[in-house]
Amino acid sequence: MEEKRIQTDVLCVGAGIAGLMAGIRAAERGARVVIAEKGHALHSGRGRGGNDHFWCYIPEVHGRDVNLFMKESLKTPKLKTMQSGTALNVLRTFLEKSFDIVKLWDQWGIPMKYQGRWEFAGHSFPGDVLTHLKYGGRDQKKVLIKKAAEQGAEIVNRVMVFDLLRDKDRIIGAIGIDTREDVLVVFESKAVILGTGCLDRLYPAPVPGWMASIPGNLTLTGDGRAMAYRSGAEIVSPEMPKRHVGPRYFSRFGQATWVGVLRDPYDKPIGPYVTRPNRLYGDMTPEVRGVFLQELMNMGRGPIYMDCRGISKEDYEYMMHWMWHEGNAPLLDYMKEEDIDFRKHPIEFQAYHIIPEGKIGINERAETCIPGLYAAGDESMGGIGCAATYGWIAGQNAADYAQDSPPVDGGGIQPEIDKKRQMIQGISTRKEGADWKEVNIALQQLMQDYAGMVRSETMLTAGLSYLRRMRKKVDQSLIARNRWELTRCLETLNLMDLGELVFISADKRKESRALHSRTDYPLTDPVMDGKEMVIRRKNGEPVVMVKPS
Amino acid sequence: MPPVIDREKCTACGACAEFCPEDVFFGSANGSVPQVTYPEFCAHCSCCVYVCPTKAIRLRIPFPMQLLYKDPEEAVI
Repeated sequence: MEEKRIQTDVLCVGAGIAGLMAGIRAAERGARVVIAEKGHALHSGRGRGGNDHFWCYIPEVHGRDVNLFMKESLKTPKLKTMQSGTALNVLRTFLEKSFDIVKLWDQWGIPMKYQGRWEFAGHSFPGDVLTHLKYGGRDQKKVLIKKAAEQGAEIVNRVMVFDLLRDKDRIIGAIGIDTREDVLVVFESKAVILGTGCLDRLYPAPVPGWMASIPGNLTLTGDGRAMAYRSGAEIVSPEMPKRHVGPRYFSRFGQATWVGVLRDPYDKPIGPYVTRPNRLYGDMTPEVRGVFLQELMNMGRGPIYMDCRGISKEDYEYMMHWMWHEGNAPLLDYMKEEDIDFRKHPIEFQAYHIIPEGKIGINERAETCIPGLYAAGDESMGGIGCAATYGWIAGQNAADYAQDSPPVDGGGIQPEIDKKRQMIQGISTRKEGADWKEVNIALQQLMQDYAGMVRSETMLTAGLSYLRRMRKKVDQSLIARNRWELTRCLETLNLMDLGELVFISADKRKESRALHSRTDYPLTDPVMDGKEMVIRRKNGEPVVMVKPS
Repeated sequence: MPPVIDREKCTACGACAEFCPEDVFFGSANGSVPQVTYPEFCAHCSCCVYVCPTKAIRLRIPFPMQLLYKDPEEAVI
């Protein structure tokens, strides 16, 4: 396997919204920037195909008091967009900066205004402050890629960064594989910004027999979180599950774009919020309690339908406009082919699989606790607005840090590189064993059965020991028949590391809260309000602490 | 299996294979109609559909992912 070395000041891992924004800003600050993307920047990450909502604070719309807006934003359902446990100073910094980012995007060619105005809709109850700006994000990746090129940031596609390189307590780069050619890529970098997004492939898909039936991306495997954890950074509350809601089986995000009412088979609304399609508010029931849809199914009271019948002509055109921008072209194309019409056909909705939290802990400068290591996006807070804003903040601070840092001495890392090379060679040359899919399915089974919707100390402890036992065998028997499978293997190893963290933290959180449900601790512990489980590797072992968020 | 390439329209430009985020066309040869090597890994994101200069690609949504809807004209309830 050939080795390729790339030297840079700032390495962005992931060319999603956060990674691209980080790269753009760091390059603008004068840093040499490389953005490494394991897929292709054009359609990678949750930003693929577009988005239509951007949480932000606009003083001329929301008033001068950002604290009031923040209070509104923190009403529980809104935490759907944001990862729980985000520190208040981190949130405030985001809100204060968000309008600048909105204006930049508009300047660069992403339409942030609708019919000449700031248009806010969705994600709010009737009568509440509207917190999400509707914007035309269909071509956002193209625009950001172009901007990155203009600033001189280099995007390297088809390279999966799978581990960080450290020299004592300093980050000095990262190591990756080319996902097509037999090449090991070593980055020597003064600063690294992780923007690898969510953890979509740890739990079985909503249709367990069809792995691709997830609302997210199969390649969002928490690579950044796993690398950050292995390098000693803090992972915050990985035990907290999130479950989104959307069309049954044809899994998609963007439920707030649907202008309709969730109804039971007798056309009765299942929630108390709307009785007619309302373009400003949608139906907030799934944001209040998404699993309610599953509970109704379990009681035999389903199917539950998202019903847009009775929508006005203007509201229908409004909805279709945003559906397009929210990356729902595949859904719209399919509906056209099948003669399915929002205005005539109520469409069944369901609650999707568990997407765990477990962000990398950052401060308001996007710094992790490791010097030179930053994180942004779904890695660190959640939502497009946050990804764009914290990407920017990370890029700025990483560039400034790199400027003040001594050059990286790439000399001492050869033993570490050789160790990784051996590991990869092992996976690539084994004659027989378990491929990535077999291992991933087995892992998903354990997560579902032992750290799923019903948790207890006995089950979490058993699940962790089964996972660790399996891991020892996987390390000796994982095979990849080609480079594509090798990429999937490295992702699956990351998933296994992160699965362990879920078990450990879930066991330590001795209460029930939101979707973390303990049969042995069924009540919510007020002592845990405003606190998070923080897990960090010390002397090779995970150590959990309870910290204020 | 998704995606489906219409061989009459395909000019073998390779754009679908170049940009697919999941690299489902992995191993396709330059200058030939791309092959869908990993159809079950397709995320149905339509990147290939919209990047194709001759509109030669469509997604065939697999049955486990079919949309479920009520047709009020047929419905019993």
